[in-house]
This record gives sequence, C-alpha cells and structure tokens, in this order.
Amino acid sequence: MRRPPLPGVTRLFFRVGVTVFGGGDPSIAILQREFYRRDWLSPEKFAIAFGLARLTPGTNVIAFCAAAGWYMLGLGGALAAVLAITIPASVLVVWLTRAYDLTTHSRLALSIANALLAAAVGTMIGAAVLLVRTQCKPGRWLKPIAISTGAFLLAFVAKLTPLQVIGVAALVGFFWAEA
Amino acid sequence: MNVFILYLLLVKATLTSFSGLASLPMVRNDFIVRRHVLTDRQLNTAVAAGRIGPGPLGIYVVSVGYLVDGAPGACAGWLAMITPAFLIIPMLRFLGARAEHRRAKAVARAVLFAGAGLMASAAVPLARDAITNPLSLGIFAASFVLIASARVDSLWVMLGAALIGVVAFQF
Repeated sequence: MRRPPLPGVTRLFFRVGVTVFGGGDPSIAILQREFYRRDWLSPEKFAIAFGLARLTPGTNVIAFCAAAGWYMLGLGGALAAVLAITIPASVLVVWLTRAYDLTTHSRLALSIANALLAAAVGTMIGAAVLLVRTQCKPGRWLKPIAISTGAFLLAFVAKLTPLQVIGVAALVGFFWAEA
Repeated sequence: MNVFILYLLLVKATLTSFSGLASLPMVRNDFIVRRHVLTDRQLNTAVAAGRIGPGPLGIYVVSVGYLVDGAPGACAGWLAMITPAFLIIPMLRFLGARAEHRRAKAVARAVLFAGAGLMASAAVPLARDAITNPLSLGIFAASFVLIASARVDSLWVMLGAALIGVVAFQF
C-alpha cells in the first residue's frame, strides 16, 4: 500500500462529498473503487472500516470515512476525510433548504439530479461486482461469490438489517477460514 | 433555542441511531412534539433537502439545525452529525492489534464480500426510483460498465451523467 498525500486524500473525499447522490452507500462504493485504484487501502482494512462503520452510532458513511482516513494517515487523515466529505455537502443542504421550493420546481435541477442518481446506482452495482471479481482467484472463487450472494439474499429477500447481515458474514468467515 | 441545547438534542438523536434517517423519530419527538420549535412541514423540507443534495441521508440534521436557529443551528447540526463518527477510532485501535490473526483476516474478508452484497441490495430500491425511462437506463448501464470493467475515474462518470442531464433538459 502507498502512503497517500493529505491533500490528495482531502480532494478525493471532497469530490465524493459534492458529486455523489443517493446517500451513503454510493459514496462508499465510489470510495472503495478509488482506494483500490490508487492502492491507498487494502481490501482487509476496507472490510474492517466498512463493518465497524455499521456498528458505529450515527451516519455510517461518515464513520467509514473517519476509519478510512485514520487507516491512511492517522488522526489527521480521519479529520480531513470527515471534514472534506461533510462540509461542502452541508453547505449545499443549507442552500437547498432555503431554495427548496425553487429546486423542486426547477426542471433543469431535476434533470441533472435524476441523471446523477442513475449514475450513482450504476456505480454502486459496478463497484460491488468489481469488488467480488477482484477477489476471485483461480481455485478461490467460491467464498467471495457465495458470501456476497448470500448477503444480497439475506438483505433483499429475508429483509435482515445490514448489521445482522454483517454479523452472519462474520460468523461464516470465522468458521470458513482458509488455510 | 440555545445553540448548545440544540447540539445536545441533535447529538442525542444521532448517537442513538445506526443509519441516516433512523434518528428521525427522536428528532420529531424532541423538536416538534415536546419543544414546538419545528413543524412537520419544516421537518419534511429538511428530509427532502437532504435527499435532493449529495452526501449521506443523515445530513438532514444540518437542515434541521438551520431551520431551528439559522447558521449557528446549521453548525450545531453539522457537529452533531459528525460527532458519533469518531467513536470508530477507538474500535479500530482495539482491532488493529488483532487484525493479523488468520481468523480475524477471514472474518474481515467475509465482511468485505458481504459488503458487496449489501451494496447491491441497497442499489435495488434506488434503481426503482432512478431508472424511469430509456435515458436513465442508458446512464445506469454505461456507469455500471465503466465502473465494473474499465479504469475510468468515477468523477468522469458523474460529470458525464450531469452533462447528459443538462443536454436531456434541452430536448
């Protein structure tokens, strides 16, 4: 793993904070992809940050950013990540609160927001596929596919909460440890 | 309302919830039912503003703070939103020493794979809202292909989508 520069980390979180629509999950999906692409965070550390963020009170994606920033650059990285992803979006939400009637009636704003939401959904599913695909190695593909498919079914069909799904996955991982 | 009290009430709501909008019932109870400093319509506006813009769904607490006490209230809301996130650092420090264990690695990898499944399941309801016509289906498919198979920076995917949104508006 490469130690990333603080300005680069801040820029990435800032960018995700102002360009990703659709809530925390698309943001995590894009961050995951960008971390791997830049070789800034290992899959194991991503997994720990992702899992613990679900156990942390409050907004999961902000806890995830704090964890990822902390892994990359310590406390300074955690602060930079949280500030960069929340401040611009908070300024925008205050502006949107003031301009609520205007934005809900602006066809241009709605057209852009709809296009961004469709892209965010494509990005989320693309990032999920990429995550599993990069972990599948010759002779070691069953576990990534079985657990990710199982998690999807538990969440989508059995309606388990993300916390419960992660708990089940952790148990499976504990008893299905490879040599 | 005193901005410190506002912060304490909002942080109580964020500290006792585990996802973006899960704090909503407590916020409603404290600000609408008990203290009458917010109306249901304003709370709806806050939630809607949080959903229209980028960022996490939990960002609506910034809007709540703003509607209750203007700019200082928005700052209190922002602080209440980010405060719980730092609780993850002591947990990471505790786990850090144990992360190299074989079983700990296996658990982490299983959680990683589950994360992919969770992401896909979270995308389904969003997709129902987002994919409403052939154009949005095309944007979705192009984004999926670019992210899953190529090495395109996600910024270009988002900017491209925004540009298509502008062009689509013209027709």
